Amino acid sequence: MPTKLSRRDFVRLCAGSAAAISMTGFLAPYMSEAVAAGAPPVIWIQGASCTGCSISLLNTVHPDIKKVLTEVISLRYHPNIMAAAGDLAMQEMFKVAEENKGNFFLVVEGAVPTGADGLYCTVGEEDGHHITFEKLVTTIGKKSKAILSFGTCSAFGGIPATPPNPTNCKAVDQVVKDVPVINVPGCPPHPDWMVGTIAHVLLYGIPEMDTFGRPKMFFSNIIHDNCERRQYFDNGIFAKTFGEPGCMLELGCKGPIAHCDASTRLFNGGVNWCVKSGGVCIGCTEPQFPAWPMYERMAEMPVGPATTVTVDQVGIVLGGLAVAGIGGHLVGNIATGRIGSKKEDVEKEGDS
Amino acid sequence: MVKQMEERHSVWIRFCHWVNMISITLLILTGYYIHAPHTFRLFSNMDTPRTLHFAMAYLLCFGVLIRVYYAIVAKDTKNIVFSVKEDTPKFPSMIKYYLFMADSHPYYGKYNPGQKMMYTGWLVMVLIQIITGFILYKPNMFMALGGFLGGYMAVRLIHYIVTWLFVLSVLAHVYLDISEGVPVLKSMFTGKIPADFDHGTHEEEIETDTGVGA
Repeated sequence: MPTKLSRRDFVRLCAGSAAAISMTGFLAPYMSEAVAAGAPPVIWIQGASCTGCSISLLNTVHPDIKKVLTEVISLRYHPNIMAAAGDLAMQEMFKVAEENKGNFFLVVEGAVPTGADGLYCTVGEEDGHHITFEKLVTTIGKKSKAILSFGTCSAFGGIPATPPNPTNCKAVDQVVKDVPVINVPGCPPHPDWMVGTIAHVLLYGIPEMDTFGRPKMFFSNIIHDNCERRQYFDNGIFAKTFGEPGCMLELGCKGPIAHCDASTRLFNGGVNWCVKSGGVCIGCTEPQFPAWPMYERMAEMPVGPATTVTVDQVGIVLGGLAVAGIGGHLVGNIATGRIGSKKEDVEKEGDS
Repeated sequence: MVKQMEERHSVWIRFCHWVNMISITLLILTGYYIHAPHTFRLFSNMDTPRTLHFAMAYLLCFGVLIRVYYAIVAKDTKNIVFSVKEDTPKFPSMIKYYLFMADSHPYYGKYNPGQKMMYTGWLVMVLIQIITGFILYKPNMFMALGGFLGGYMAVRLIHYIVTWLFVLSVLAHVYLDISEGVPVLKSMFTGKIPADFDHGTHEEEIETDTGVGA
């Protein structure tokens, strides 16, 4: 593939690019070149999602999204931004998938509902029968070179898969097994993560990934380690309410357990991010998101139907019982004379 | 009159005991500050308790490692490892003694079944704390293990619950050992205990002296 940018430089650029540099703008010429030279096309499909990931992609500002979509990425199908609709569009998608079998990339946005044979999410028709999203992901996904799961829903299940999960939503890699899946989580993911991952697979192939299939170039940092409020944490200054200066750990910030580079990359074209706008990190790039309390320091323990307690409450009650037990035993000890006046006449052998 | 003393705790047992005691105490205190810095204002900043917490974590690792190695090499395992088959039948007589339903208890060996259960439980708990602690300390290095245990949030919860278990069991440990007599506490410093210290009645004595069945 004709490119002057080495993979090493590319990853360094992705991992290191702060708000000051426009990663997409820098990458665009290389990607255009690759696409012009016949890089694999990209098909984007949506399942149980809120379209937030697509909206986030549209926030790519340098160069503007029009240029990215028409010149940089050979995007052949996208439910929201393509002009075609209905049968015409579906036929085109199947045609692209068939013609480029094993040589196109499938972007999946949204979880895959598998309950009721996938009927909770139908995405089109074929020969008068509706196609469920589960079937579409399986059939098209098997033909693709790799699947890019954009957003936490497709990567880990996310909001649709959070209990009670009546539609039995699943992550894409639980549904399609034999195709490499790259997870780009986030709610929504940063446009750079999406464009950067597409760029990596187009130019260099599958990127280096961590345990949860996230590209290491974007997801190897802990938010807490690069947080602009980190100094507050180190100095023991903690916010009690929103809007106060201070580390927001006690307000439920998930920064210490969240992997991504939002704190240095910044959203909306390098303007702002969750903590800078006064909110806590909700850990949206983690596999367990959002099955935890977003504004609590620690999750509560379920102890019975519709009953939860905090660990502190359990500990304090048990501690109270222990102290009461000890007090009672102490009284007993003194009353029976085990403590205090030692029985001198008792001679028992002790050996150890 | 010079009391006849006999060896109870070797120097290695005493060394490990106090090293682990110091590290566990500091781990609990710093850990609770890290958990709730606003409620538990023991430190003035986060740097000191975190540094201490990590240093003490390593100290505890080594302390436990040495203690386990010693237990195996010095054949101390028979004294402290709880055996379900052998120690469970001894429970009723011990509970009777603790509830003042019996004046004495049979001789159990160095430790009674309750102590054995607690010390074995502590080893399990320490291992849980070390594993969950390192997952939280090096989130990138142990990402797979963290995911296996249900994610960092679940790991934090486990780490925190086991800390509470430590607090409660240490409370019981300190009370019960002191209530058995000052010599028991002293023996953890000097290693020696008076030879005439009451370690419990031997079975044959029980049968002949008091008639209480073992």
